[in-house]
Amino acid sequence: MKAAQFEHHEPTTVDEAVGLLDSLDEPTILAGGQSLVPMMRFRLARPSTIVDLNSIDALDYLREEDGHLRIGALCRHVDVLESDTIADRYGAFADAAPLIADPQIRNRGTVVGSVAQSDPKGDWGTVVLAHDGEVIAQGPDGERSIPAEEFFLLPYDNALEESELATEIRVPVPDENEGSAYEKLKRKVGDYAMVGAAARLRVDNGTIADAGLALTAVDITNTRVAAAEEALEGETPTPERFKEAGEIAADHSNPETDEHGSADYKRNMVRVLSQRALSNALERAGGT
Amino acid sequence: MPAEKAITITVNGTERELSVEPRKLLVHAIREDLDLTGTHIGCDTGNCGACTVVKDGEAIKSCLQFAVQADGSEVTTVEGMADLPDAGEDLHPIQEGFKEEHGLQCGFCTPGMIMTGKALLDRNPAPTDEEIREGISGNLCRCTGYHNIVDAIQYASAELGDAEAATDGGRPRDPGGEAE
Repeated sequence: MKAAQFEHHEPTTVDEAVGLLDSLDEPTILAGGQSLVPMMRFRLARPSTIVDLNSIDALDYLREEDGHLRIGALCRHVDVLESDTIADRYGAFADAAPLIADPQIRNRGTVVGSVAQSDPKGDWGTVVLAHDGEVIAQGPDGERSIPAEEFFLLPYDNALEESELATEIRVPVPDENEGSAYEKLKRKVGDYAMVGAAARLRVDNGTIADAGLALTAVDITNTRVAAAEEALEGETPTPERFKEAGEIAADHSNPETDEHGSADYKRNMVRVLSQRALSNALERAGGT
Repeated sequence: MPAEKAITITVNGTERELSVEPRKLLVHAIREDLDLTGTHIGCDTGNCGACTVVKDGEAIKSCLQFAVQADGSEVTTVEGMADLPDAGEDLHPIQEGFKEEHGLQCGFCTPGMIMTGKALLDRNPAPTDEEIREGISGNLCRCTGYHNIVDAIQYASAELGDAEAATDGGRPRDPGGEAE
């Protein structure tokens, strides 16, 4: 099937893009297009106007600046996969990148687009949640920051306004004694996660000073498990603690039975993957 | 009704001017407007990789992009492989690899496999079998079981490495590749 007719706009600056979003009738933003294009050709999406970001060169970046890792709206999955900065310090990002879709799709799909798509089965939202990240949005009234925790509202729905453009994902640069990891269960290459878990730990003098734990595909959005984080903070990082945190995460998850597995099975996988992600994060934090 | 857009794409070294509806997929422009039907449409969903072409040096699925997004870009399709500088008299070493190693049965996935293989070898001229398997993980083959496809790409890697070594005056590598 062909996509329905649409008007194609190609702004070259963020201001121009925001101007278009503000003035056009129900515009849809196209970044990597690896989800949107098939949705359009099956007419699950029928936008009448497309604002295509691909000519805004200023959005193509991944860099550390002012204490944050900043990922621009045209940073592709492959850029994360091949980044030395990511490989050195951002374990959960490095774990997730090669598990997303397949090589051709990683050449085009974007991190920010995936977060803005807000599919609860998407991996990046979970990683950004565990890293205490934020989404930077540009609108007609200027820029604002939306904490990842307040960003995801429903499947495919988020806190962005119609005329706002998500220009950047920002996460704090981790301390030396901080590590993160991502674990993903899927049947085969190209699949979305059946279950995913991202963990981040900062360990000060043998005590967990800060913890992040978030889950993929087991609720209506990517979700952070605050109860498990609280149970970890102030404690010694031991397998017993991680086991307990995994159980809390499993209790707080709401998976659905589908063709890939029962809700019980997925809840059990939440427990297992959370523990694994936590032990890998600890190792990277230097605490083994 | 949105107007058609005039776009220019350099396809296999030749600049082509097209007028397309914004909704036209790149794969349809390649097959229908440029009559290059070597690029296949297998699944219509972005899964199978049969429509893979190399755009500005990267393997992409041409069913997951609109043609208007390729304006100003350079695209190589399977038809252009034999004319590349590193091609032999009749075929490119990757094509030859598929022939020599029996890398196809029905051949439907082959154009996509060849283009993915090309982008892979451009980035990583001497991949391990494991890296090839990962590299072609976005391309589905329903008959060979992939083993011979990996061998075909290894064959090309060795051939291209030999050619490079010959021009460098260096020693040719063992063309047999790694056994599994």
